[in-house]
Amino acid sequence: MADTTLSTAPPAPRGRGVRLLQWVREQLLVPLLAILTAFLVGGVLIMVTGNQPGAATLRIGPWTVGNPFLAYLGLLEGAFGSWEAISETLVWSTPYIFAGLAVALGFQGGLFNIGAEGQITAGALVSVYIGYALHGLPWPLHMLLAVAGGVLAGAVWGGIPGWLKARTGGHEVINTIMMNYLILFASNYLLAGPMKDPNPNIAVAQTPKILPSARIPRLIPGTDLRLHWGVVLAFVTAFLVYWFLWKTPLGFEIRATGANREAARYAGIRVNRILVLTMALSGALAGLAGAVEVTGLHYYHTLGFSVGYGFDSIAIALLGRSHPFGIIPAAILFGALRNGASRMQFLTQVPIDIISVFQALVLAFVAAPVIVRKLYRLKAAREERMTLTQGWGG
Amino acid sequence: MRRNKGIVLGLLLVILLLPLLAACGGAAKPEEKPFRVGLVTDVGRINDKSFNQSAWEGVKKAEAELGAEVKYIETTDAKDYMKNIETFAKEGYDVIVTVGFALGEATREAGQKYPNVKFIGVDQFQPDPVIDNVAGLIFEEDKAGFLAGALAALMSKSGVVGAVLGTDVVPPVVRFGEGFKNGAKYINPDIKVLIAYHPGGLAKGFIDPEWGKQTAFSMIDQGADVIFGAGGQTGNGALIGCAERGVLAIGVDTDQYYTVPEAKSVLLSSAMKLITPGVFNLIKEAKEGTFKGGNRIGEVGLAPFHDLEDQVPQEVKDKLKEIDKGLRDGTIQTGVQVP
Repeated sequence: MADTTLSTAPPAPRGRGVRLLQWVREQLLVPLLAILTAFLVGGVLIMVTGNQPGAATLRIGPWTVGNPFLAYLGLLEGAFGSWEAISETLVWSTPYIFAGLAVALGFQGGLFNIGAEGQITAGALVSVYIGYALHGLPWPLHMLLAVAGGVLAGAVWGGIPGWLKARTGGHEVINTIMMNYLILFASNYLLAGPMKDPNPNIAVAQTPKILPSARIPRLIPGTDLRLHWGVVLAFVTAFLVYWFLWKTPLGFEIRATGANREAARYAGIRVNRILVLTMALSGALAGLAGAVEVTGLHYYHTLGFSVGYGFDSIAIALLGRSHPFGIIPAAILFGALRNGASRMQFLTQVPIDIISVFQALVLAFVAAPVIVRKLYRLKAAREERMTLTQGWGG
Repeated sequence: MRRNKGIVLGLLLVILLLPLLAACGGAAKPEEKPFRVGLVTDVGRINDKSFNQSAWEGVKKAEAELGAEVKYIETTDAKDYMKNIETFAKEGYDVIVTVGFALGEATREAGQKYPNVKFIGVDQFQPDPVIDNVAGLIFEEDKAGFLAGALAALMSKSGVVGAVLGTDVVPPVVRFGEGFKNGAKYINPDIKVLIAYHPGGLAKGFIDPEWGKQTAFSMIDQGADVIFGAGGQTGNGALIGCAERGVLAIGVDTDQYYTVPEAKSVLLSSAMKLITPGVFNLIKEAKEGTFKGGNRIGEVGLAPFHDLEDQVPQEVKDKLKEIDKGLRDGTIQTGVQVP
């Protein structure tokens, strides 16, 4: 069995292959096993809950249970079974990548940005406003302005808790949650009131559509595929965040502050400035998520626009180990789950909340690697403990 | 140690592989093309005790009475509206029911893309031009509110009735409120009607049971002895508040005897949008080939009195029947002018 060999002590690092194996063992094993375990537990849940009338069921002796195989097959087919499915999965993954990067950047700086949800909303609001209210601008300029407005809004919305932290020591978790509520209520007011589409036939709170000149174009025009250039931007942004954090002095200062704030201060880093900057950049990335959703996909903004990308993105950041190149597969996994869920339910009629349970399981197993290690009898890796944020006193 | 792990893994494998073995036993049976109906919910669940559920019950009725094959997909995000509708359309479903105003645009788009599929959009007003294979099932909230107001006025002894409503930024809620007021005044022009809309807009307007309850209390303190609660959980809070004070209550949208069991003891009735028969009738039309696109007005009506059946005098029941008939044939107008 492969996992038993993995649980024995590795040979001394020798050569590229061995190092790679060790890297896999230390970085990928827990997330992969977390996903596997979540699938197994989820399968049992599907069997228990999928016993609905009209659902595809199995008979095991006296019991009729849900069919996890058909469910997972549907999930896979719905997520990757056709070009359309792949396109939709990537469309779903796009805000997850941006928002996951936002939270991960916060983690790298030792800050827990729980406010990505609010920053996404702030970005979407400003972006949509620029998109529909400004007339007469040519295409690329208007689009860039709309996206930039969203980024700026996110940066402000994230920067305020950062500033509060630097200035007063107010904890960013509390303040970002507060900021979430502020923007939530502000957007409810704006969408139902000043920003509502004046068309009387529209009974729900949504804005007018943004002008074509503010839209991010589709990646493959002439087809039904909704895949847009925002997806490409997400991948490029992930690389830029990596480059910024690991290849620039400022990125180093952020990571140093995240690793040990006092040591960073002692080393001459202006920690307070870095805190504000980290939160502002984190907010900017989340704002970009909102801006791209509006300008690339929906073309308007409405209530219930974000169904928790900001919160899912915390799970994505953890699963991706707060590394941009880990965020991408984690975001695609979450996007695939969300996208494939429709097909899964069409085939098996299992409750769609299974997907949320599944995501929660992945998060629980990743956040508490002890469970996974105990379950599979793995030894603790050398860098098991990852300091995500610093305490209240910091 | 290792043996333990083997057992854990082995058990998981067995649990997962058993059904695979069981699955091999099934045999494919030949079948003619059945009449198939799919339903796409709004962001929400199929058992929401509200629109999604009522619409699904209409579809289930079609399963029972028309022999339809039925399935649903629960939407988790607005971006999936089209995809979920197309999941059914591509499989060649005959009828697709989409629930809620928010799916209106996607439904119309799908209607044009799949002209052979009949679409039923619950609560979806159809602007011109009408699409032949897309029917919007809409309801006249002012009539439902009018019936509730008439019932409240007929049952009130104090001459004060109240309505605890969701936010007034949503026109249907205002139609409920205005209809209620006019219905009460229709019975008794001197009646005092207390109307309260939740001030929190869409953010809190429908999800604030505590506000609903406190507002109901304050209306009761002002002498109200029948209260109409209309506005999601906010309205439900008012119903529960009435139950705590032993004051008569009227629910909304669906028969809330089942959705707010805490208020059973005081729940007179509910001003219902009859979604279940509306959806069923349109499916039936589709099956029989008489389906028509455009706006189709569903019926509204009062739910049964349930536990309070004996407390409602016969003359009140007769009067309500008369008003219901009048509203249907147009001899009674609600007088509500809200776009």
